[in-house]
Formats: sequence, C-alpha cells, structure tokens
Amino acid sequence: MNPRFDPDLLLMEVNGLTVEFDTPDGTVHAVTDVSYRLHRGETLAILGESGSGKSVSVQAIMGLVPSPPGRIAAGSVMFQGLDLVSASRTEVNKLLGSEIAMIFQDPLSSLNPVFPVGWQIGEALRVKDGLSRADARARAVDLMDRVHIPNARKRVRDYPHEFSGGMRQRAMIAMALAQDPKVLIADEPTTALDVTVQAQIMDLLDEIQRESKMGLILITHDLGVVASVADSVLVMYGGRIIERASADDFYAKPAHPYSQGLLASVPRLLSDMGRLQPIDGAPPSLIHLPPGCSFGPRCPHVAQECLTDRPHLVEVPTRPGLAACKRMGKF
Amino acid sequence: MSLLEVRDLVKEFPLRGGIFNLTQNKVQAVSGVSFDVEAGQTHGLVGESGCGKSTVARTILRLHKATSGSVFLDGRDLLALSGRELREARADLQIIFQDPFASLNPRMTVRDIVGEPLIIHKRASGDELRTRVDELLDQVGLDTGFANRYPHQFSGGQRQRIGIARALALDPKLIVCDEPVSALDVSIQAQVINLLKDIQKERGLAFLFIAHDLAVVRHISDVVSVMYLGRIVETGPIHEIYDNAQHPYTQALLSAVPEPDPQTERTRKRLVLTGDVPDPIDPPSGCRFRTRCWKATELCANETPPLVDPGIGHAVACHYPEPLAVAVEVAARSGEVAVRDPFAMGS
Ligand SMILES: Nc1ncnc2c1ncn2[C@@H]1O[C@H](COP(=O)(O)OP(=O)(O)OP(=O)(O)O)[C@@H](O)[C@H]1O
Ligand SMILES: Nc1ncnc2c1ncn2[C@@H]1O[C@H](COP(=O)(O)OP(=O)(O)O)[C@@H](O)[C@H]1O
Ligand code: SF4
Ligand SMILES: [Mg+2]
Ligand SMILES: [Mg+2]
Repeated sequence: MNPRFDPDLLLMEVNGLTVEFDTPDGTVHAVTDVSYRLHRGETLAILGESGSGKSVSVQAIMGLVPSPPGRIAAGSVMFQGLDLVSASRTEVNKLLGSEIAMIFQDPLSSLNPVFPVGWQIGEALRVKDGLSRADARARAVDLMDRVHIPNARKRVRDYPHEFSGGMRQRAMIAMALAQDPKVLIADEPTTALDVTVQAQIMDLLDEIQRESKMGLILITHDLGVVASVADSVLVMYGGRIIERASADDFYAKPAHPYSQGLLASVPRLLSDMGRLQPIDGAPPSLIHLPPGCSFGPRCPHVAQECLTDRPHLVEVPTRPGLAACKRMGKF
Repeated sequence: MSLLEVRDLVKEFPLRGGIFNLTQNKVQAVSGVSFDVEAGQTHGLVGESGCGKSTVARTILRLHKATSGSVFLDGRDLLALSGRELREARADLQIIFQDPFASLNPRMTVRDIVGEPLIIHKRASGDELRTRVDELLDQVGLDTGFANRYPHQFSGGQRQRIGIARALALDPKLIVCDEPVSALDVSIQAQVINLLKDIQKERGLAFLFIAHDLAVVRHISDVVSVMYLGRIVETGPIHEIYDNAQHPYTQALLSAVPEPDPQTERTRKRLVLTGDVPDPIDPPSGCRFRTRCWKATELCANETPPLVDPGIGHAVACHYPEPLAVAVEVAARSGEVAVRDPFAMGS
C-alpha cells in the first residue's frame, strides 16, 4: 500500500450524487446515485469511456454544472462539515480554489491568453491573500519552480501561447497549488499530451502529492495511467458507478462484466494479446437508459433478471470491493 | 520489390517571414524518410505529436507536394505521375482519417459516401452499384438497412466503419490509416482493430498504420518505424523494436507508456525525458535527439547518425546504440534523465 494514503483520514464524502440535464430530446441522466469517499493522500481514479458521466460528476463538486440546463437532482458532497451541494454560493466559493482545486484536459481554455502566465498564477494570491504585486510574482516564480518549469524567473513574464502543451499543464498545476489545496481534481490532465510528457506530469503530481498528502481525484479513460498511479478505482458506465475497488483488486480480479470486457479489449505494450476481445455494441444513451442493468444489452452474461431489475452495488463475493451486477458468482 | 517504397522523402513548409526577414524560415516537417511497406503487411509509424507522421502520409498521397524524394507504388513513382496514370494509381492507394466525422460529407447518405468512389472511377452503376455498396457495408459490419442515413446519425465507431467501407470500395492494395482508432473508446477501438485485421487477411491488403498509441501499433503491425522530429530513428520487425529497442528515444518512448497492470508498473524502470521536442523550424544539427539525450557527445552534434543495422537485426540511427538494461544504467549515472524506479520511491 502506498504510504501517503491514510485511509483513516476522510477528506470528502460524496453521497448519492445525481445530475440531470434538460435537453430538447429529453432528460439526460448524466450522473446517477454516485457515492464515494476520498481520503488524505489517496489517488482515486474515476475510469470510464466518453459520455459515462465522469466530468459531470466532478463538475457537480466544483459548482460547475451549468444551470440551466443542468441540475443536481439529489445527493450531497460533504467537505469539512459543509455540504457543497446545499451550501450558499459564498460559502462554497471560499473553499473552491483554496481547499479544492481543479485542473482540466485543455489548459489553454483555462488560461487567459492576454495575461502572462506568472501574473495569472500570482493573481489568485493577490486577491485572496492580499499579497503585493512583487510578493505575488515571487510566489509565482516559486510555484513555477516547484512544477519544474525551467527558467521560471524569466518565463514568469511569458504568455500562454509561448508555452508548450506540457508547460501549460504545469502552469495550471502551479495555479491549482497556489493555495495548497487539500483536494485536487484532475479531469483527463494528460489526455491531450504526448506519452513522454504524460509521464513527466504524472511524476510531478505524484511528487506533489507525496509532499502535501493531498487527495487526488483523477479522471481518465486510460487503463495504463490508472494502473500506474491509483490507489482506488471507480468505474463509471451509463452515469453510474458499476465497480469500486482498490487498484490492485480491480486489475487482478475485475468483478463486473464491463470491467472484465474493458481489460480484455485493451492491447498491451509488453505482451502479445492474440485477438482482442471487444465489447459488442455501444454504450447506452443517457436519455433512454434501459430499465434494468445499463450494461445488459452488451453483456455476455446477461439473464432475464438483468433486463428488468437494476443491479445495485453489492460486495464482490471473491475479494474486497463493490460491483453492480446481479450475476456475480454465476459466471 | 516492395509494394510501397518511400525514398528520401523530404517535406518542408515555407513560412512567410516579415519584410525585413531575409532568411527564409521553413518547417522541416519530414527530413529524408525512407521505408518499405510489403504487400499484405502492416507497417506502423509511431512518434509524438508533430514528428511528421501525417505529413509523410499526406505527401505519399500527394495531398502535399513533396519537397524532394520518391514514392514507388508497385514500381511506379507516384510523385512523377499525372493525369490518367495518377488517377489510376490513386485507386490502389486509399486513406482513413482519425476523425471520421470531419472526413465524411454530412449532406451525403452512407450509401452515397461509400458508392462515390465507384461512380467517380466508373466501376459500377445502377443495381450493381447498389449490390457493391451493400456488400461493403456488410463487410465492415454495418446494417445495410442504415444505408440511407446520414453520418451524424452514427456513433464514432460506426462512422469509422463507414470510412473503412469507402476506402475499400475500389479494392486498393494499400490503405494509409492516419490514427484511425485514436478518437474511439477502448471497447470500440478493439472492434475496429479486429475489423481491420480481418479485412487485411481476407483481401491481402497492406496498411501504413499511423498512431501514437504504441500498444495498438504493436498489436496490429508487422514492422514498425519510430519517428522523431522528421526522421526515422529506429525501424524493424515488431518484436525487434518492442523487445530490443536500441535507440535512446525509442527506449524512453516505450518506457513512458504505462501498462494496465499495477504489479508491472511497480517493478518497471522508467526513463523520464526532460525538456520538450525542439522546434522543427530550427532542428538541432547532427542527431536531432541529442538535445534530450543523456549519451550525446560532440560526434552527435557534428554527424547525423545513419539509419543502419549495427549487427543487431534491425536498423537504428544512433552513434551509441545499446540494449535497454545498459541504457538505464548509463542514464542513471548521467543524472540528466530521471530513471524512475518505483521501488526506490518507497511504495
Ligand atoms: N500545412 C502546414 N504548414 C506548416 N507546417 C505544417 C503544416 N502541416 C504540418 N506542419 C508542421 O509539420 C510538422 C509535422 O506535422 P505532422 O502533422 O506531420 O505531425 P504528426 O506526427 O502527424 O503529429 P500528430 O501526432 O499531432 O498528428 C509539425 O511541426 C507541424 O506543425
Ligand atoms: N451542458 C450539458 N448539457 C447537456 N448534456 C450534457 C451537458 N454536459 C454534459 N452533458 C451530458 O452528460 C453526459 C456525461 O458527460 P460527461 O460527464 O462529460 O462524460 P465524460 O466526462 O465521462 O466523457 C453526456 O451524455 C453528456 O452529453
Ligand atoms: S447485471 Fe446482468 S447484464 Fe448487468 S453486468 Fe451483470 S450479468 Fe451483465
Ligand atoms: Mg470528460
Ligand atoms: Mg498527425
């Protein structure tokens, strides 16, 4: 087990989180009944294919669900005794950025093109901590050093377009770290980056996490990235969590047929796989979800009961962890 | 003679400078690339963003005008052809793109999209056209009942199947696949990879398969070439490259790919490169990788290493090729490249 992960120190508890969007085609059930806990020093990976509800599930934590058309239909997010879902905007805003920070797949969209990167990193500190211009710049240089942006003293004046993709992501991380958050949410932080740069950024996050013991929620669709950094894994499908386990248990013994299908369909770098075993069909529409198991129409083990009753997350019989499948132990 | 022979291909994109800028800047996107694709085989082309993979593909297809070099398909130099000869040769050479949506005309039905090449090349019309399109749709696993729908009514994986059906219409000898599965989710990606492999077996097709996902390339290719900044740095049969890479860039690239297995990840050594890829407007002299290489010497700055086999069974463009185990030791001693040893991190 990872020594930075402290399972006794609960940081955040998400309970029954449900998010819907009203669209002309009907209600999109983007996230349904999502519950999990994040602990100090823990890296929790949310794994799933596109459209499975990963991003919306954390946008709900950050108050980023656009409303309308979106609404948090149910659930709570408890952080430091406060429910981020029902608390007032001002209370929540005090926490966001300082205690909970977020980085995105595309740093360009969150950096302002007309201000120097260093100024943007320092700006939050000037506003929140009342630092002087000079002090804010000095702190920005420190932070840029910490995320290993070479020549920080000089580059603090550069604009976002003068940075490479990897450097921009470092700058975003520096900005997120400015307030020393307890929770960092990273939504596909390396998806747009080359694999050698991805390795650098994942190393950086790991280094920071070991220093600060922050909890990290890492959203990704990359099974390799999850295996290399995660302590715990949540698998989302059709807007719901369908499996929850430690990373070791998940990879050694995936319990849900969808998890098993995912692992069988991904080619490996270090070994020959023979023929890949794809999952037939395509993910469900979140507007017209099937009444029973949302994976039922694609599942090789489907039975009549799966199509009528929705499976709930239950203990996996053969190892620790939870999975939402009616037929576990029967295939 | 191989089906496709690319020789010393160079593609430079001129950049317009200011009025006072007398030195004509250019992007050296592809700088002397040579490789073969054998009939019925898959040649994988890998490398990071901007290294020139798509430019190689587009230049071969004459979507870009080559700066110099030649491209022989079945012995005919594609870059020298024109008129009817070119149109004929083009039928043997098709392309599938990464983004099936952008490459399919949104106002055409699937039937028209897939049938269009047959009409343009006057290969079929009327009932025969109908049958041929149905056969093609069937072969790529699309319901012929959907033939009258438009591209936006299909999922990403289905759209890629439409692109494949269209590419197959003229029964080509070679299909250039530029990141054909990169935009797809893993479960769908596996469907398309299997489809491509099945079609290859049935039709004896060759693929030039471009991708940045090294695991996908291993799975689908017979031969692979690794590109860095406009040049091929290492090439050979798939097992040679994945099990015995000798170029420091190939080694770093392979070691950066995380394997979906935590046990393996905890025990694997990883070479973490520092810095960024240099600007192709002003690439380093000699070996283009030298600015990020932990073994670089004066020789590397002065002489471009040729892509030759130093007696290991495949070709590598490095003055100091060596097996991974040795490279890792040297890198660790140099201190220039972080050798990440997960055990040393106390986990
Ligand atoms: N039309 C163009 N004009 C100027 N420069 C170009 C043009 N097309 C490509 N380039 C440049 O040529 C180089 C190679 O680009 P190319 O698209 O071939 O890379 P790639 O290996 O396919 O990358 P990716 O993995 O991102 O698709 C890059 O530096 C790119 O910016
Ligand atoms: N602003 C929005 N309006 C309508 N639907 C939305 C909006 N944002 C997200 N959705 C829908 O919610 C679902 C989940 O999306 P998302 O969380 O972004 O998926 P992921 O991050 O797993 O790819 C998708 O069906 C998506 O189309
Ligand atoms: S509940 Fe049934 S359909 Fe759903 S995953 Fe389990 S076996 Fe498959
Ligand atoms: Mg997302
Ligand atoms: Mg490309």
